[in-house]
Amino acid sequence: MSDIQLVNLVKSYGEMQAVKKISLHIKEGEFFSLLGPSGCGKSTTLRMIAGFVMPSAGRILIGSDEVTHLPPEKRDIGIVFQNYAIFPHMSVAENIAFGLKLRKKSQAEIEITVTSALRQVGLVGYEDRYQRQLSGGEQQRVALARVLVTKPRILLLDEPLSALDKALREEMKYWIKELQRTLGITTVYVTHDQDEALTMSDRIGVMQKGRLEQVGSPEDIYERPETLFVTTFIGHSNVINVTVKGRDNGKTVVSFGANTILARALEGEVAPGSAAKLVVRPENVVIGRTGEGLPATVLTENYQGALVRYRLSLGEQEIVVERQNQSNVSRFAPGEEVGVSWDPERSEVLVA
Amino acid sequence: MYGMAVTVGSDGRVIRPAILIRIARGPAFWWLVVPAVVFFIIFFLVPTASLFALAFNKPATGVIDLSAALSIDNFIRIFTRSIYYEAIFRSIGIASLVCIVGLLLGYPLAYVIAKTSNPGRNALLMVLVLSSMQLDMVIRLYGLMVLLGDNGLINSTLLDLGLIKAPLPLMYNIFGVVVGLVQITLPFMILSLIGSITSIHPSLEEAARSLGASRARAFFSVVFPMSMPGILAGTLIVFSLAMSSYVVPALMGGWKVLVMPIHIYQQVAETGRWQFGAAIAVVLFVSGLLAITLYHLAAMRAAGGRS
Repeated sequence: MSDIQLVNLVKSYGEMQAVKKISLHIKEGEFFSLLGPSGCGKSTTLRMIAGFVMPSAGRILIGSDEVTHLPPEKRDIGIVFQNYAIFPHMSVAENIAFGLKLRKKSQAEIEITVTSALRQVGLVGYEDRYQRQLSGGEQQRVALARVLVTKPRILLLDEPLSALDKALREEMKYWIKELQRTLGITTVYVTHDQDEALTMSDRIGVMQKGRLEQVGSPEDIYERPETLFVTTFIGHSNVINVTVKGRDNGKTVVSFGANTILARALEGEVAPGSAAKLVVRPENVVIGRTGEGLPATVLTENYQGALVRYRLSLGEQEIVVERQNQSNVSRFAPGEEVGVSWDPERSEVLVA
Repeated sequence: MYGMAVTVGSDGRVIRPAILIRIARGPAFWWLVVPAVVFFIIFFLVPTASLFALAFNKPATGVIDLSAALSIDNFIRIFTRSIYYEAIFRSIGIASLVCIVGLLLGYPLAYVIAKTSNPGRNALLMVLVLSSMQLDMVIRLYGLMVLLGDNGLINSTLLDLGLIKAPLPLMYNIFGVVVGLVQITLPFMILSLIGSITSIHPSLEEAARSLGASRARAFFSVVFPMSMPGILAGTLIVFSLAMSSYVVPALMGGWKVLVMPIHIYQQVAETGRWQFGAAIAVVLFVSGLLAITLYHLAAMRAAGGRS
């Protein structure tokens, strides 16, 4: 088990910078997700940690060892690919034994290890099967077993769930997380799926255009987004154009249209009068009768079963509100005048 | 068979090769094979079969009509005279050597082309491979003769430099024939190899590396065995082309390298003994087929008999 340090890591392809000076410390035993849209540099970063891509600048440390210029086979890492990369010309047992043979383990030890690894991933009796006889989920388990028997210092997972169907993805999500927790192995998980990142991770690094936008716990990322990109990429957010008025009692005062409201304090000083974005999640907005909060008009109602989603006009801007469809709350019809409010601590001011 | 391309679909399920999918087809569908089959029967099967039938008539100079008097004298002659039966082994030996040399030369190049993702560079390499096929074989062989002859480029340069006293025997021997055959057959080898190497997903090699295999180890334990279908296809094509080639041994061997096609030509064109030439052709055909079958079986066995 080791921690991972990325120091000013850069990867450029000609003019194009795929990864722009990333510095990151992934702690020992941590489940760390790199989350971002395709082309954000998350896979390139993972492949640099693995050693398949050589950084243009910067350093990579695994534990106390500098591995920046080491080939992959000298890094003592385990990686599971999106397509699992099970060797099709080898049986399941031979696949799992591959790394052990390279480590010159005795035949007897290899057999014992393979058997116990198969038990660990729930594939007892699969020794003699071949890749083409395995489902996607089974291939993934074999890929994990093949990696884990070599006792790598760190585990790298490159979108391992994206090729599975939805039900299996849910199951594997918890299974992988549980396995990781049991083993306590430092894990870097690359995904574009926010649900996976939020459910599985100890910490998440949100990436965009080769940069780390924000690093934090799932709660930090979801509830205290630091940039507009993070707030719109993770979940839905209402983004309202506002003007900063000043501070009041540790909160930020902003106004839009005829409305003046409080929001969570801004970090750093912002001159009154500057334009900003007020960010509120749809589930944090409370709709009530006229007079209870800011005046708004219902534009549309969208029934979604457990949720009802409203589109509202609020001070000439549009917001989306979600609320639980419970029997004790009344529904609103398009055209109806309502009042909306939210907890200032649940709204964020981001300076544009 | 281990060469079957199996892919994992977006839902993680294995997608079966298209060839296994059965589609209900009407009888009209099978009429599509008729034109090619008719052509094949008229212009290959009939002439070849009648030539082979001729092999069972006693030799009669200038006679090409079939007679009812069957005999196996021709075959007895082939297997009792060393000049003929040695030609069988010479043909198979040369064809095998051409396969090995072609594989050794072609594999690294095919690997590079398969691994080159830059479209411009890839196109350039492919043009280099295919450009040699744009000229007729005879013209290419004349070029080779200019290079390898006693007064050719190589020998005259080495003589001028004083590195050798007499010209090296580069032509009119087995060496010249093998060089010629490799030159002719190399594109076929490379194209077969490129196809199978390209179909190996790069993550397989990377997985091997991450599990602790060096670049070379990853190649020999993953890429090489997985490219076996291409190696098999390439060597079979090259073997057949090399074994049956007449023009290359004729020009590059100067009639001194007596392989079976040379004997056939001599019997038919020079002495007019069609029957004996036909018998050699039968032996060439059967021994080539036999060698290919044995090779294929051995390769299957080496692959562990995996379905």
